[in-house]
Amino acid sequence: MRYSPTLVDHFLNPRNAGLMRAPDGVGEDEYAGCGDLTRFFLRVRDGRAVEVRFQTYGCGPTIAAASAASELCQGRPVDDLCQLKAEEIERILEWLPDDRKHAAEVAAGALRAAARDHLSRRRRDV
Amino acid sequence: MNRRVYLDHNASTPIHPEVLAEMLPYFSEVFGNPSSIHTFGRDAREGVERARERVARFLGVSPQEVVFTSGGTESDNFGVKGLAYGRGKGHLITSSVEHHAVLRACQALEAQGFDVTYVGVDEYGIVDPDDVRRAIRPDTIAISIMHANSEVGSLQPITAIGRIAREHGVPLHVDAVQTFGKIAIDLDAFGIDALSFSGHKIYGPKGVAGLWIRKGTRMVAIQHGGEHERRRRAGTENVPGIVGLGKAAEIRGRDMHAEAERLTVLRNRLIDGVRDRVPDVRLSGHPTERLPGTASLLFRHVESESIVLGLDLKGIGVSAGSACTSGNVELSHVLVAMGVPLDWAIGAVRCSLGCSTTAEDIEYVIECIEPLVRKLRQAMPAGVA
Repeated sequence: MRYSPTLVDHFLNPRNAGLMRAPDGVGEDEYAGCGDLTRFFLRVRDGRAVEVRFQTYGCGPTIAAASAASELCQGRPVDDLCQLKAEEIERILEWLPDDRKHAAEVAAGALRAAARDHLSRRRRDV
Repeated sequence: MNRRVYLDHNASTPIHPEVLAEMLPYFSEVFGNPSSIHTFGRDAREGVERARERVARFLGVSPQEVVFTSGGTESDNFGVKGLAYGRGKGHLITSSVEHHAVLRACQALEAQGFDVTYVGVDEYGIVDPDDVRRAIRPDTIAISIMHANSEVGSLQPITAIGRIAREHGVPLHVDAVQTFGKIAIDLDAFGIDALSFSGHKIYGPKGVAGLWIRKGTRMVAIQHGGEHERRRRAGTENVPGIVGLGKAAEIRGRDMHAEAERLTVLRNRLIDGVRDRVPDVRLSGHPTERLPGTASLLFRHVESESIVLGLDLKGIGVSAGSACTSGNVELSHVLVAMGVPLDWAIGAVRCSLGCSTTAEDIEYVIECIEPLVRKLRQAMPAGVA
């Protein structure tokens, strides 16, 4: 296994791992092929993600992708996160082998779902 | 630089220095074709036949009964298909936890019209000999059961199965790739008619293996060409490899028993040390009827590849029981056959010890596993899997 030092660092020292009490948005995504699952929790202030937490179940790159994604979206507008692409996460990790591309896809999918969840909650509150 | 600890000896082993020294001249000075009648060829032939004698002495058999092949997979294919083709048609019995070399050879035979029964295993991965007895039919032509499972290390009751095979006059092939040179194999007491073994699991080279065929066993060659190996396996012999396999077998005869005792102690320490420190972990396979150096551990709610990656970054080489290949999780067919629940099977990690493994290595591995698994579980949603 030859992964980038950035990926290895995120895998060994995942940032923002864990639960969040009373989040403003929750979303998850699963890669049915191998059962990898990632769940994101968002705290939103003034339309921006100010706190992000994640839980994930998967191989090393999946943990690293979730960790990298959690840093990537700090402070970004929730509307932006609804459009987040896996490539953006993969760029941070520098490279993912073809059979591990799904790690970034699952992280991006879970973050988009959390962002959409926040927007739908806000619409309900209006 | 991290300490480096190799705990994947069931996958492959480093070549013993004495084996390498014996092989080296056969790459350069003694390069002839053993089938040639000139001195160059005769010198190479001498190396091949000395190796055959060494393997035969180790197994306690006649050298004429030993056939060299290109690897354990070929030996298994030869053992299973050779017995089947020797009878033309009929029914075979194997187990659901065999190596793919046997399982897929059996599937290929099914596609050709043979009938195969795959007997199941218990929670330890062990075949019930009575299941084999019940599976025997009037048209049963061969039984193939492995001696030890490479993934979980459980030993099969070969003596009892061999007795049943003898009672019914059915030849027994045994895949002993994981036991040859590690524990004693008494071919007569076990009632075996064909035995697969390999070089690179016993500190010999890769690309060379063998099949012992009991004299009088009807066995058909599966590879055709020249008259090599007494017409049982066509193809110019891999002379350096065969020489290496012969030397490796000789060394195992000398070192095997002491190493088995030493590895059993280290293996038990590894199992106990991990179980003492890590919650939700258990041993797979039989607690005592197992290979001396194999510990297969199941970490609940953690993916085995994460553990393998985390330990690799600490300089430790172990293997994953489940693999995420091209986006599909491949659960071990052995663990599935044993009925291991998914949330345990997905976290299967095999540690296989060998001659270089020290007590310090084992303590280092125990120290590294606990914080790694704790960290992986922290990032994991409870109850998933």
